[in-house]
Amino acid sequence: MFEPAVLAQILWTGLATSSHMVLFTIAFALVLKVVKLWNFAQAGMMAIAFYAMYAGVNQFGWPTLPSVGFGLALTLAATLALERFGFRVLRARRSSSLLFFIFTLVCSEFAAYALTLIFGTEPAPLFERILSPVRIVAGIAVSDWDLLALGVTIGLATALALYLRFSSDGRCLVAVSDNAELAELYGISAKRAYLIAFALASVLVCAGMYLYGTRTAVIPTAPLQLMIFAVIATLLGGMGSVLGAAIAAVTLSLLQSYSILIVPSKWQGMILYVFLFVTILFFPSGAHPMRLLRRFGLRRG
Amino acid sequence: MDYVFSILILVGIYIVLAASFNLIIGRAGLASIAHPIFFALGAYTAALLAIHFGLNPVLATLAGAVVAAVFSLMISLPSLRISGDYLMITSIGFQLGLLQVIKNIEITGSQGGLSNIPTPIAGPERGAVFSIIALAAAAGTVLLIRWIVRGPYGRAINAMRDDELAFIALGRDATRIKIAIFAVGCGLAGVAGGIYAFYFQYLTPEQYEILASGTMLTMVVVGGMGSTWGPVVGALMLVALPQAITFLQLPPSYMAPVQGMIFTLLVILFLFLKPQGLVSPEPPAPLAHRRAGRV
Repeated sequence: MFEPAVLAQILWTGLATSSHMVLFTIAFALVLKVVKLWNFAQAGMMAIAFYAMYAGVNQFGWPTLPSVGFGLALTLAATLALERFGFRVLRARRSSSLLFFIFTLVCSEFAAYALTLIFGTEPAPLFERILSPVRIVAGIAVSDWDLLALGVTIGLATALALYLRFSSDGRCLVAVSDNAELAELYGISAKRAYLIAFALASVLVCAGMYLYGTRTAVIPTAPLQLMIFAVIATLLGGMGSVLGAAIAAVTLSLLQSYSILIVPSKWQGMILYVFLFVTILFFPSGAHPMRLLRRFGLRRG
Repeated sequence: MDYVFSILILVGIYIVLAASFNLIIGRAGLASIAHPIFFALGAYTAALLAIHFGLNPVLATLAGAVVAAVFSLMISLPSLRISGDYLMITSIGFQLGLLQVIKNIEITGSQGGLSNIPTPIAGPERGAVFSIIALAAAAGTVLLIRWIVRGPYGRAINAMRDDELAFIALGRDATRIKIAIFAVGCGLAGVAGGIYAFYFQYLTPEQYEILASGTMLTMVVVGGMGSTWGPVVGALMLVALPQAITFLQLPPSYMAPVQGMIFTLLVILFLFLKPQGLVSPEPPAPLAHRRAGRV
């Protein structure tokens, strides 16, 4: 059971299947960092992204790329409308975090009900075939989907990191996330930064749902469960650290994958909540993986 | 007529849930949203005791309330260290983690749900009797909470919510108050669970997911957080209004999503048009009428 080949296979498959979770987590953590909002409406964005792509492929008969473009366009439109006509109004009223929580959750609920009305509750994958060709590399089964998932995730995460570090808009985002009022004094528009953060989150969510939907059948309420993972990973990673959240997402995914060696599969879901509870009790401001790495001398800083 | 009784019973149950939730979140400012899991604990405990030990329904419901109150320690103790968003997320973790347990153990019926719950009342008057029980429980809950918050204990709760540091600095015991509020609020949710279990005779874990938290929280906020009658109005409106379309006789596959959309649109409408809720919190009693008391 603990043979190196088995462990390596679990590592590879775990990394590949963590890819969409990482994208959802980065999207969630980015909005939390910049907008200071626990955006539970992300589940609604995820559902819209998937079903728009699904409609493109299966109902309009479009090729993959235009369908993904359609999904992205609808997700962007919904998200930016939410920010412009929802969050901005609530912020102007200085609404409590509970009101934001209700609003974001209700938006996700509304999206789930509307999509249930249109598409029903039958689980549906994006394409008819969810199996992809597999090859054996050094004793490890590597599928085309694994390579696509890891490639897309690494590519988007790198692009986001470069954007935040080197573009002027990216630096504005970082400034607003540090101190929105001070950033505005320097002429940076916080409203614009929020819109950009939501737009970036839409791209990540759309890519994540494409990867998830090509591998698994989806129902309108499924994104809510996926988002809970993103919430927990964000908390574990330490609020305000997008990289920390991404590392937490990979770690949690791998732990869940490896747990099949010792924990019955039906209890794998519990691992997430145990970690959440332990983290909240012992690391109330998050585990901050980057700080832990520095503490143990594994990273300069 | 059965349909009307079902709605009345649901209204009664949701008034108990919303009013007890309001005590925790509105009155004491403790941002836990795990209330549905205490509803579940009450329902499952009462149902299992009735199924396996044939316990009297009243005693089984009370046992459900006690179990819910005891489990509330798992939220009230962390609330001594954390607050705000962290408490909210912890409570979600607690709720979903415990649901995961309910979904995976056989005695609770696992994912398929728990059925064959015995009914204490049979015959044509069943709906009417349960309606009276549920509405009486609702009235009892509202009056009990009103009594708590209008006395010296209520003023202590308000003081703790408004400035916990100053409250502790004055020598008051915030720990005891938090634990007591969670125990009372969650215990009442357990009572609602018992009534639900014995009337509907079927429980499924999906009923207690995070969307149920959203529903209960919405009733409190739309009704008026921190007010005595707000949760009553919120529960009444949000249970009754989506039922209006039942008379359109849509196919079942359309009915649930359309009702859900009406519910969510109503909530969004209220959040923007009446963000303070339909009922404003009562102003504090004049100082001259306050009795001296220490908690």
